[in-house]
Amino acid sequence: MTEPDVHTLTGPYVLDALPDDERVRFEAHLAECAFCTTEVAELRAAAVKLATQVSASPPPALRANVMAAIEHVRQLPPVVEGGPASPAVPRRFGRRSVLTLAAAAVAVALSGGVAVDQYRDRQAAERANRQVAAVLAQPDARTVHGAVQGGGQATVVASAQADKSVVVLRGLPKLPDDRTWQLWMIDQGKTAHSVGLAAGDLTQVVNGSTAGMTAFGLTVEPAGGSPTPTLPAAALIALT
Amino acid sequence: MTGPTSLPWPAGSHPRSGAVGDGDLLALTATGDTAAFSALYDRVAPSVFGLVRRILRNPAQSEEVTQEVMIDVWRSASRYDAGRGSAHSWILTIAHRRAVDRVRSEQAAADRTEQVGARTAEVEFDQVADTVSTRLEAEQVRRCLDSLTELQRESIELAYYNGYTYPEVAQQLGAKLPTIKARMRDGLIRLRDCLGATRGQGS
Repeated sequence: MTEPDVHTLTGPYVLDALPDDERVRFEAHLAECAFCTTEVAELRAAAVKLATQVSASPPPALRANVMAAIEHVRQLPPVVEGGPASPAVPRRFGRRSVLTLAAAAVAVALSGGVAVDQYRDRQAAERANRQVAAVLAQPDARTVHGAVQGGGQATVVASAQADKSVVVLRGLPKLPDDRTWQLWMIDQGKTAHSVGLAAGDLTQVVNGSTAGMTAFGLTVEPAGGSPTPTLPAAALIALT
Repeated sequence: MTGPTSLPWPAGSHPRSGAVGDGDLLALTATGDTAAFSALYDRVAPSVFGLVRRILRNPAQSEEVTQEVMIDVWRSASRYDAGRGSAHSWILTIAHRRAVDRVRSEQAAADRTEQVGARTAEVEFDQVADTVSTRLEAEQVRRCLDSLTELQRESIELAYYNGYTYPEVAQQLGAKLPTIKARMRDGLIRLRDCLGATRGQGS
């Protein structure tokens, strides 16, 4: 194959239209051709848009089958950079990478909490999982993060459409036994509504509506909680 | 203990904010988070199932392959590299490859046994346009497809929706092999440019 001929194979390649032998040869070329790799990524992004023409709801039972099946499927470990399975690929660092990093931080937080919950009470954890998933799945779900005074991080995922939010607290410092964390939602009139207590790290759907709420607050209170927040707050995160 | 009080809460300080995307859910999935995977399933399953069924036609096989695809997404989530394209693109690439592999292995089996049975009847496709943005995107893609030349569009559609190889496409359209290869590429380039150019115009 001459060089220009190889380059035109990006089209059939992203359409999965190369016969097997040609595909294998092209993939070998791809690993060494930065130009082709970039073009493949761009053309693939365009090609997958063709799927928008044929979207269709799968039968509901399929969802249950998949969720049941993954219980028994071990996940692959990440490919280590520079390893044999990782071809040289030009990287662009942009908004996506930043988002992904942020997501990874939340990921560690979320999964840690879920694992502990599962250990304690599998069913309750599954219920919580579904509730958290339902909020995360909302197209309008937005995440906000903020540092907690003294260490740790608070993340809130809120969906106006579902009128729900999920709070993730991670790495909080340990409190004395006679103290507790208290969670608040603050409305437009700057009134704080208590939405629960926490002994430490947690992942949970917040009780109550998010409508009209402008900020999430976290305070340290005497054991049992307080009717009004003790200031200054350990964290205060604007929701909008 | 919900005694509302009026307090001078200062306006929140510098939150980092962004919509939860498919990529975020995939990153969560890679850590073994089943809740995130379940949310991701709800986002992508209609695209995956619709595409697979368009290629395979047979509903039972389509469900089977869709399930394989989603399990594959779960298994290999850690292999997704955001630098190489969107999560949605990655998942649909897996779906297309698997559906096409299935079609070709069936085809090979059929050729061997010289079965000439009638093609499965065309299925009535219920178009899912559950959100306004999905519908708008579908319309935009349709418009961009219409801007291609006849040969570009037919080459791309026969390969993408029917799972034909480029020699099969050439045969079907009575065109030369290099011509079809080139039309697939320049057709996709035009599609890419069209989609990119209209994206910023706020549909």
